Amino acid sequence: MTRPSAKEIKATVETAGVPVEAEVAERIANSIGPAFEGFAAISGTLPFDLEPASFSLAQTLGARK
Amino acid sequence: MSLTEVAAAIAAKQFSSHEVTRACLHRIAQWQPHLNAFMAVEAEAALKAADEADAALAKGDSRGPLHGVPLAHKDMYYEAGKVVTCGSLIRRDFVATTTSTALQRLKDAGPVRLGSLQMAEFAYGPTGHNAHYGPVHNPFALDHITGGSSSGSGSAVAARLTFAALGSDTGGSVRMPAHFCGVTGLKTTYGRVSRAGAMPLSQSLDTVGPLAQTAEDCALLLSLMAGPDPEDPTASHAPVADYLAATKEPIKGLKIGVPTAFYVDDLDADVARILDQTIAILKREGAEIMQVELPDQRQLSAACQLLLAVEAAAFHKRWLIERPQDYSPQVLMRLQNGLAIPGVTYLETMRWRGPALAAHVAATSKVDAVLAPVAPMPAPTIAESDVGNSPGAEAVIQRLTRFTRPINYLGLPSLAVPAGFSKAGLPVAMQLIGRSFDEATILRIGAALQRATDFHQKLPTLA
Repeated sequence: MTRPSAKEIKATVETAGVPVEAEVAERIANSIGPAFEGFAAISGTLPFDLEPASFSLAQTLGARK
Repeated sequence: MSLTEVAAAIAAKQFSSHEVTRACLHRIAQWQPHLNAFMAVEAEAALKAADEADAALAKGDSRGPLHGVPLAHKDMYYEAGKVVTCGSLIRRDFVATTTSTALQRLKDAGPVRLGSLQMAEFAYGPTGHNAHYGPVHNPFALDHITGGSSSGSGSAVAARLTFAALGSDTGGSVRMPAHFCGVTGLKTTYGRVSRAGAMPLSQSLDTVGPLAQTAEDCALLLSLMAGPDPEDPTASHAPVADYLAATKEPIKGLKIGVPTAFYVDDLDADVARILDQTIAILKREGAEIMQVELPDQRQLSAACQLLLAVEAAAFHKRWLIERPQDYSPQVLMRLQNGLAIPGVTYLETMRWRGPALAAHVAATSKVDAVLAPVAPMPAPTIAESDVGNSPGAEAVIQRLTRFTRPINYLGLPSLAVPAGFSKAGLPVAMQLIGRSFDEATILRIGAALQRATDFHQKLPTLA
């Protein structure tokens, strides 16, 4: 996963149904780009059978006995 | 006097609720023009409720452990019939038709309502700025931030305008005001306290938690609020410990981990000094300090930011379409960020939470809690952290939130405890990070620290 460009941001935001101007898309790209980069090492690496409910399981297993 | 002390004093009829409530209202009158901590003050109703509490007590009728104690909470907890602004223009006139479970459970214990407390707009800001209602000021230095989003809660508890206050913590919003304002703040385990009737920001990260003078106060409030709730299916059925009893226990033999990286990097000299000082105190109290090597916290922080942005944007989407002009520019920008994150990326952040928590549990398996700074710096000024008006503000904000977000992503409990003061006289706190649903241990360590120090008792003064 790479940092999205302003053009990609503009398309995604329009798909979400709340269109923004090009300069806003540029600002969003700068603002959330570091988070995309920070998560890049994880994105696309998760195993097939993993689902979000594994968090509840980890909470239970990790709770102090 | 702390919450537990004043509650005991009212129960023993050493003070009347009327006297205590009047004293709070007197301090509010003195401080509010300087702090802007309250959204609304309900003086007449508070005194009437205090008189009713006194009359009930005279007949031997106590409603519970908070009988007659004046309190105020962050203005995002719904109370039927009351305006709940959520710090926003959009909800300036919103009258709640239900009462939040957390608030109701506190109300059942008999407190007196003083009014409602200021907050960041829709709890989406870490500094205490609010474009609609003005910034909240730090009682220890009026030109400095309180931290947010529970800005009024931190400021009002620090100035002793209320004996405690509910906050909420989605990315650090209880711990940062506790750190910057010199009070104790508990971020609860995700699911420990019902979120029913609390304004949502991120359904996967939101937690309800108290700010108060002491760990003992936080223990009392948590003991009243914790537990399952049919109105909130995410509220856990995990056993509720005796938190107050835990605060009385010594910490001899407990193992406390100190991270080898991230939380000890790029600290201001004051924060580094206070971390070392806290470690020394914990050792003196009999705790064993061990180094812990945690997984990459930057990845957790990034995942938290992506997850939060999407969920916040989804909650606000209707107003983003219909009323964008009614948001402040900064909050509008933060909400727009979430619209740009693809669904697959969002779900990846949700899917990774389980393995990320499991990795943290494995890394900390030999310790009872982890000690770390809440932020690498004491409170910056209101001017230097004002995103709209200071070019360096975004960098300041990124720096001050870096130690709190990873804990939200993992859903862990964390207690912010006053641990010292900077050379300039600004409060600094440390956070004690526990295992899921083990608030008892971090409250126990926090209480031991407060028996050994008096940082939590220092009162700010008005110039």
